[in-house]
Amino acid sequence: MAALESETRQSYLVFACGSSWYAVPAEAAAEVVTFPELTRVPGSPPHLLGVFAHRGEVIPVVDMSLLVGGVTAGSRRAVLVRLPRGTLALTASSVAGVSPVTGALEPLGPTGVHVHLRGPGKSGARDVAVIDPEGLFDHLSQGG
Amino acid sequence: MPRAARVEGTLLCHVGPHRLAFEANEVASIAAPGDTWVSARRAFREASGAQRVLVTLTGEAVGVDGLEIDAEVLSVLPPSPVVAGASGGSLRGFVLTRGVLWPLVHLDGFERYLRGLAPEVA
Repeated sequence: MAALESETRQSYLVFACGSSWYAVPAEAAAEVVTFPELTRVPGSPPHLLGVFAHRGEVIPVVDMSLLVGGVTAGSRRAVLVRLPRGTLALTASSVAGVSPVTGALEPLGPTGVHVHLRGPGKSGARDVAVIDPEGLFDHLSQGG
Repeated sequence: MPRAARVEGTLLCHVGPHRLAFEANEVASIAAPGDTWVSARRAFREASGAQRVLVTLTGEAVGVDGLEIDAEVLSVLPPSPVVAGASGGSLRGFVLTRGVLWPLVHLDGFERYLRGLAPEVA
C-alpha cells in the first residue's frame, strides 16, 4: 500500500485513547460526545464496548486501545466518525483539537487493524497514528 | 423511503447485566430449565446460568435470567454493519423501550449460534 505524502494541508482531529494518540480526518469527525449507558451486543468482541442511540441512529462504540491490544481507556467520551455507511464512536480519554499531521504516513503493520493506522505522524510534539476511517470501518464490519 | 421494521409482542430478557429481546411469535413456550438448554450468557462471555428458558418452535431452549413481556408495537432500529454479523448473523437490530436499547435477535439463529460457542467455565 502506498504511503501517504507528508500532510500539511489536511486537518485532523487529534485525540488520545489510553496512552496513544490518534488522528482522524477532520471532515469525518462529526462531534465529540459523552455517551450514555451502553447496550452490549451479544457475540461482539471486547473492543466493541456496546451501542447507544444518537439522533435516531444506533452507534457502535469502539475502544481503540483494546482494538490494538492494550487495556481499556475506560472513557465515557467518544469521537463520532461519520461515514456514508454509518457512524462509529471511538473512545477518547482526551481531545487535543484540530491540527495538521506531518510525516510519511505508512501503514503501521501488514495485517489486522494496523493496516488501517498510518504513521509515524506528528501533531505538534505528539506522536500520532492516523486512522483510515473507511478501512477501519471495513475491518470492524468483518469482525476485526 | 422503506418503512421501518416493526415488532408487536416482544420478550425483553435480562442476561446477567445485559439485555436481549426476542419477537414473541418466535417463542413456542417459556419454561423452567430442564435437561437440555443453552445459556444466553455465553454470548456475553459469562458463566452459564438461567432462571427461565425460551423454547423455540423446533423445541430447542435458550436460557435467560429474567424476562418481561412488552405488548407494544416497537420500531426496529437497523444494526450498524459493524455489529450486523454479531451472534452468527442472528441480530435483527435494536428496539428502544424502557429508555434503553435492547438487541433484537432471531431466537432460532441465536440458539444455533450459542450451541456453536465453547461453554464458559463457571
